[in-house]
Parts: sequence; structure tokens; C-alpha cells
Amino acid sequence: MRTMGKALGAVLMLAGLVLPAAAQDRLVIAGRDAGFAPALAKMVELYQAKNPNVKIERLELGGGPLYERLAVGAREKTAATDVAMLDDIWAPEFMARGWLTDLDTVGGLPGEFVKSAIDVSKHNGKLYAAPFVGNIAMFAYRKDLLAKHGFERPKTWSDVVKAAQVIQDKEQGVSGLVFRGIKGNPIVTSFLPVLWAHGGEVVSADGKAVLDTPAAEKALTQFLSFKPLAPKGVETYNATELRDAVQQGRAAIAVEMWSSWAGTLDGSASKVANQVEVVATPGEVKGPAPMLGAWLLAIPADSPNKARAADFIRFVTSPENQKLIALETGNPPTLAALFNDKDLVAKYRWYPAQLEALNVAQARPRISQWARVETILGDYLQLALIGQMPPKQALTEANAQIARALSR
Amino acid sequence: MTASRRLLPWLLLTPALLIFAGLTLYPLGRTLALSLFATDYGFENAKFVGLENFRELWDSRFFRQAVTNTVLFTVVSTVLEVAAGLGLALLLDRAFPGRTLVMTLLLAPFVLSTMVVTAIWRAWFHFDLGFLNNLLRAIGLPGVPWLFDPNLALWSIVLVDVWQTAPFAFLIIFAGLRLIPQDVYEAARVDGAGPWRRFRDMTLPLLAPYLFVAALLRSVDSFKLFDKVYAMTGGGPGQATETVSMFVYRQGFRFFDIGLASAAAVVMIAVAGLLAVVYAASLLKGAGR
Repeated sequence: MRTMGKALGAVLMLAGLVLPAAAQDRLVIAGRDAGFAPALAKMVELYQAKNPNVKIERLELGGGPLYERLAVGAREKTAATDVAMLDDIWAPEFMARGWLTDLDTVGGLPGEFVKSAIDVSKHNGKLYAAPFVGNIAMFAYRKDLLAKHGFERPKTWSDVVKAAQVIQDKEQGVSGLVFRGIKGNPIVTSFLPVLWAHGGEVVSADGKAVLDTPAAEKALTQFLSFKPLAPKGVETYNATELRDAVQQGRAAIAVEMWSSWAGTLDGSASKVANQVEVVATPGEVKGPAPMLGAWLLAIPADSPNKARAADFIRFVTSPENQKLIALETGNPPTLAALFNDKDLVAKYRWYPAQLEALNVAQARPRISQWARVETILGDYLQLALIGQMPPKQALTEANAQIARALSR
Repeated sequence: MTASRRLLPWLLLTPALLIFAGLTLYPLGRTLALSLFATDYGFENAKFVGLENFRELWDSRFFRQAVTNTVLFTVVSTVLEVAAGLGLALLLDRAFPGRTLVMTLLLAPFVLSTMVVTAIWRAWFHFDLGFLNNLLRAIGLPGVPWLFDPNLALWSIVLVDVWQTAPFAFLIIFAGLRLIPQDVYEAARVDGAGPWRRFRDMTLPLLAPYLFVAALLRSVDSFKLFDKVYAMTGGGPGQATETVSMFVYRQGFRFFDIGLASAAAVVMIAVAGLLAVVYAASLLKGAGR
């Protein structure tokens, strides 16, 4: 009995030692990998230098694994993440389910952010996230090649096809265009600006599946006409392959050029420095509909370190750090004024055009089931792209599946 | 026998049984139960739907395609891996200079992590810049769309799997080959049996238990195929390389349709269980019990 008492005492002593340690000043930051990682890494480095007593752990994850970690963590209330990097398309689900902290309860967020980016960070009037990367799907073309063959900036997707066809026919080793054809999110984000330009939608304003329309069929038929103009194997192309094709001069037009990818276009690794024009996406029967793809920073509702997390988010979204991130890593800012900052415009000549695009940017449907809808659409788009399903059938079946997903 | 002596084996088995119950029986039972519900996570807010999830699986063209791909992959990769393992074992059964080095090189792919293997092969499969297509072009042949031709992508993954795991089959078969007494072959030679006859009528029958074990272990593992597909094609192009594991993963962790994912997992467990029963029955039969 005495031994047991000693053991209990030892456990309690250990607990006494451990408990204060568990409550120490710490931050677990779950962010994206690839091009986004250097931005967060830089911020962690600077924040750590200013706050040497904070224990910071930064996780670098791909899009899918990051979503899984955050969604599972929120459902299980693991309190394992203090700062979460969110794709704007995940935000409706996270905000509606109460998985995020209202930022106004932890000191608020100063700064004049781009309207479209701050809009996707709110739910029922409350601010649940801070816009971190002002990404938007732009359109890129080789101004030298288009001019050489008598083309101006394409205003419509039909213009794009015409120019791409001529360049592909006449320029040895250069594909007319390039896009991301791999299934899932990439092929969907390539297709949506074309769909929107044709007046089509995936989900209506009242939350119904509306993909089986003549407008959507025209859009998909046109999208499929891109394939013979693209490099062989475009079905497997993701961001890296697209960027390489443009930078190595192997493609004349990029159907989508996310602003965070464009940062290296004029760099030393590029064979086409200063020859690529980055502009808003073309239209068709409707005007251009650039797609918003902002990345946000939020505090999970179960974070045990909310005050510290809020302080880190305010640090990252301050004007000086947003500018530093843009200059050093190419990730575009979300503070409106920075798009006209002379240092940034000197480095990224398309920033004023990007601000215009951001001001009219279209967000993907704000529904909590978007991840599933996007996957369904991506599956059927790829079946159409590889010729295993006619466009009309692909849209009809995708629409039925999306309707079912929305009803659950 | 006293009561305490009778209880002792159970007492000793208890930790293992508890672990088995906690880590195997409980998840299995929970998965089976969840497959009867419409739920986006656990039983909280779950709605009982009976066999509706299984009906949905049956109606899903993507699930049917995933099952077809998984079965095709399992059968073809298992046959090729065991055949390659047998061939390598026969080659390395005889002494020659550098045999140790060859064996070491042969085993190298098996000890690499799958992520490393897939990174290597993704680079080799690249249409424009990949090693394989450059090799083909060097001898005047056209490049092959290894990963983006829907008719070829699954077989490309089979190739990677054979490259990585045939050494495992080789190890099992080689061990069996070394256990065959040489005097059996001597007697056959004296009786006038040629090399083919000795292989067909002696080596193969004597190796049969080892071939069987290699085939069963490989087939159970192949049936769970996930990592290579996830890293190399993501299930595409189209649904050409989608497997049941990928289907379960997507339904469960991308869509949080846990009921449907559990139903698909139950189908997987049933098939894998069937293979396990065949394996266990064969082992018991071999042991004469």
C-alpha cells in the first residue's frame, strides 16, 4: 500500500511538471507545401526571431492531406492545430460547421484587404479567416509568338483556339496551349473559367446542380478542343508541368496561370523572360470571369493557443510582411494597396491587372459540399478528356451525381 | 490438472487477445456497423439505411471499375511476380562469379520505400524526358504514353509493382529451392531425366508450397494497392487505375461519406478474408491437421 502511495505521488509530481509544460506558449501551424511553403517558412523565421520563447512547429502538407488533417482534427476536436491554412473553397464548410474561431473575439484583423478575398473569409457577417495569398486564375500568352503570327491578346476562348492552332502548326516544338488536365481540382479549375464564360454554372445560387445545360455542353466541347493543341500527356499535367512548359518555351498559351506561379516567369530559369503576358482570362458569350483561389489563415475553434495564433496571423498579414512574402516568394498579397506598390510592380508587372481581376473575381460555389462536387466533376471531365465518355453524357452523369451529393 | 494450471494458458494469452480484440475485432465490427448507416463521421447523427450503401456501391460505375482494376492488378501482378521470383531463384541457384553482388542488387528495389520507387518511376515514365522513352527513341521507336494512356496506365503500375516486389517472391522461392535435396536430382539424372523433365516433374512439385505461399502473400498485398496509384496517377487517367482502396480513401477522407466508405471496406475485407481463409486452410492442410 505504501509503495502504491509512493507511485501515486510520483505520478502526481510528474503531472505537476508536465501540466505547466503543456500550457507553454506554443504554435502548431499547418500549411501547404510547394510554392506556398517558403512564405510561411519565412514568416515563422521572422516571428520566431521576435518571439524566441514561443515553440513553433510548422507542418508542410499537400492540398489533400492538409484538408484531411484539418477536417479530421476538427471532427475529433484534437486541438492539434493553432493556425490552419485553408483553401477558400474549404472555408464554407469549416465556417458553417463552427470549426473556426471568430477573429473578432481574439483581437480582430486590421488592414484593407481585397474585397473578394475578405468576402470568402466571412460567414453570416463574422470574420473567421484572414486572406493570406491573393491567388487568382489569370491567363498567360507569349506576346512575341502571338504578334509574330498576327494575333492580339485573345478576348474570347474562340480567339485562343484560333491563335493556338496557327502557332502549333507553324512553330516547331511549341504546343499551341497548355492546361492542367490531371483529374480532381486541377482539371476543374482549368475548366471553370471556360464554363463561366459560356454562361454555365455547376451549382445555381439556390444550391441546385445545373451542369446539364446547352451552355455547359458548348463549354465542355470547346474545352475538349484544347487537347489536340496541348503537349502530349496533358491529361497528367499539374502545376509543375504547366509552369515548365511555359517557362521552357514549349507552350504558347497557358489557359490558367495562377498568380503564385507567375512569380518565376521572368526569372533566370525562364527561357521566355519578359515575353509572357499575364492578363485576366478571356470571355466568350459572357465577359471574363477570373476565378478566385485565395488561401486563408484561420484559427481552429479547438486551438488551445488562440491569442498567440491571432498574433501570428496579424503579423503575417501586416503590410510589411505581405510585401516581403510577395517580393521573396512570389506569393501575391491580399492587401489591396500592395498591388500598386512600386517595388512590387517593378518585379511583377501584372499586379495592377491582377488587382482589377481580383476586384471582379468569381469565387467557386460557396457550398460546404464543394470538395465532393469538385471531385465528381473532375472525374467526369477527365473521362471526357481521355475520350471515354461523350461530353453530353459526362455532364449529365456528373450533374446527377452532384445533385445527389448536394442532397446529402 | 488444477484450475490454476487450466487458467494459465488463457492468462498468458490475454494480452494478445485484448490487443487482437482492440485493434482488429473492434474496428472490423465498427466498420461493419457503419456500413449500414448514412453518416459523415461516427454514429452521432447517423441514420440507419440498411443495405442502401451496398446498393449504391453496386450502382456506382466508379466502384465497379475500381473492383475490376483491383482484381486485374492482383491477378496479373501476382502471377508475374511469382514467375519472375521463380525465374530469378532458378538463375541464382547455381554458383557463378558475382552472384552475391547480383543478389544484393536484385533485392535493392524491395528495401526502397514505395514513395522513392514511385518517384523514380514517374521520372522514368515521363513522356518527353523519361529514361524509358529516351531509350526507345534511341533505337528508333516512338515514345510510349506510359501513364496517360487509359489502356496502358494500369499495366505500367503492374510493371512498377513487379520491379519492386518480385524480389520478395524470389526470397521465398529461393529458400524453398535450397531445401530440395540434391540427391533427388542425381537419381533423376541417372534415370535419364533431362533438364525440362527435372524442372517440370521434380522442381515444380517440390516448390509448390513455396510458390503457393508467395502467391498468397503477394495477392493479399496487391489487393490492397493504394500507395503506388496515389503517388503515380491518382487513380487516373479517367478511372483507369482507380482501386478499391483508393475508392474507400476518397469516400472516407475526401467526402467523409463514412457509410459508403465502410460498405466498400466491408467488400474489401470479405475478399481479403476469403484469400486469408484459403491461405490458412492450405497451411493447416500442409501441417497435416
